[in-house]
Amino acid sequence: MVRQTDELPAVDDEARVRAALRNVHDPEIPPLSIVDLGIVERVDVADDAVQVTLLPTFAGCPALDVIREDVIAAIGHAAGGRRVDVRFAASPPWTSDRITPAGREALRSHGLTPPSGEAPAATGGPIPIRLGSAPERARCPFCGSDDTVRESAFGPTLCRSTHFCNACRNPFEAFKPKLGRG
Amino acid sequence: MTEDPRLTLALALADDELIIGHRHSEWTGWAPHLEEDLAFSSIAQDEMAHARLLYRLIGETWPAQGEEDRLALGREPPEYRNAVMCERPNREWGYTIARQYLYDRADAVRLEALAASSWSELADLARLMQLEEAYHLDHAETWVRRLAEGPVTGRQRLADGLEAAIPEALALFEPLPDEPSLVGSGVLPSSSEEMLGRWLAALGESLEALSLDYVLERHRPVGEMVPTGSGEMAPAAPLAVPGVERVDGRWEHRGSFAGSGGRAGIHSDDFAALWENLTGMYRAHPGAKW
Repeated sequence: MVRQTDELPAVDDEARVRAALRNVHDPEIPPLSIVDLGIVERVDVADDAVQVTLLPTFAGCPALDVIREDVIAAIGHAAGGRRVDVRFAASPPWTSDRITPAGREALRSHGLTPPSGEAPAATGGPIPIRLGSAPERARCPFCGSDDTVRESAFGPTLCRSTHFCNACRNPFEAFKPKLGRG
Repeated sequence: MTEDPRLTLALALADDELIIGHRHSEWTGWAPHLEEDLAFSSIAQDEMAHARLLYRLIGETWPAQGEEDRLALGREPPEYRNAVMCERPNREWGYTIARQYLYDRADAVRLEALAASSWSELADLARLMQLEEAYHLDHAETWVRRLAEGPVTGRQRLADGLEAAIPEALALFEPLPDEPSLVGSGVLPSSSEEMLGRWLAALGESLEALSLDYVLERHRPVGEMVPTGSGEMAPAAPLAVPGVERVDGRWEHRGSFAGSGGRAGIHSDDFAALWENLTGMYRAHPGAKW
């Protein structure tokens, strides 16, 4: 390949790769790019290879293999003939505060409430017994009401919880908050 | 040849997650309602993913151990190091919830300790798992509260499930072979004994809030149990009795503790059927990819 400049060619290529990554979307949430989902941790451009390091949202996400294939297909041109490696890293763990404002808007447009509120704490200490248990109140993506109940912390994919809106009487789903502590 | 104690630790963690994940997956399509089909299926998916991360770490650290599928599916029964409680059949809902509650509380205690492990790759995985396990614990806690505060039948089934599961849950903290070296090197920042104490104290406090601590009281004289077939347990005469006791308003365990053997590859009759089911495809089609 022909390089146009000897100065910082990798940086330009990295920008091109990053731009191309915006075209890769979460296969389970089509309007949401993996960049806005916040799973692109690193892009390393070397002379012969481009390595993209991604952070799985949930370790058991079955979409990871699809995302890997989609990344390879999407950045082939930007990689300029270099080998493309996609690796999934366990550290740092992905957290839901990595989703960008555009990503939150994409979730809403897909009928999914963006993550909000507290993730449950997983400590070894005593668990406070909350009488009557206040369910997480996700805002309804359809009518905007906060008068909702959480039906379950689990849903059709690992990253979603299921809810019901008392105002517009619609069931809906939310993207689960996943937040580190300390 | 003695096994690297770090390998035993990683296998114990991975096998617990794989085997209890397999049991959880058996609720798919059979749970009392759709939300619980989804919940247990999702929890199973998380647990198996955690096992996979740990098997991968093992394969990278000790290449002779092979890749993740071989570790998950290609070993003989005595090579699995899971605690016996994980392999027990689901029985019914009260036992299932009791076991999930005891297991995920124990998992929270050990992940909290391992997040500070000197084995940095393991500490990274522990921190990642903590974020996902939080939802499992939330699930178990919600159900325990719902059953404990609900009609008497459900409360009784939960209590029966706790009584059945507690002796074997203690063995989640069975000391690992050569544990002092793991603790000394900071790979295991707290000993099994210390973690058992933490788990029991917090469990006692939570059960007291639900007036269910009598299930612990009943285990005071029971001591350590060893597995036989499903639902049957026999006292382990040569082993020390851990016992539980309320001291100064706090539940503590008493005496030394040798565990029921899961960490050394000793399993109940229930494991054989689970292993046949779990590994049958892998054994029938060696090298298959899916």
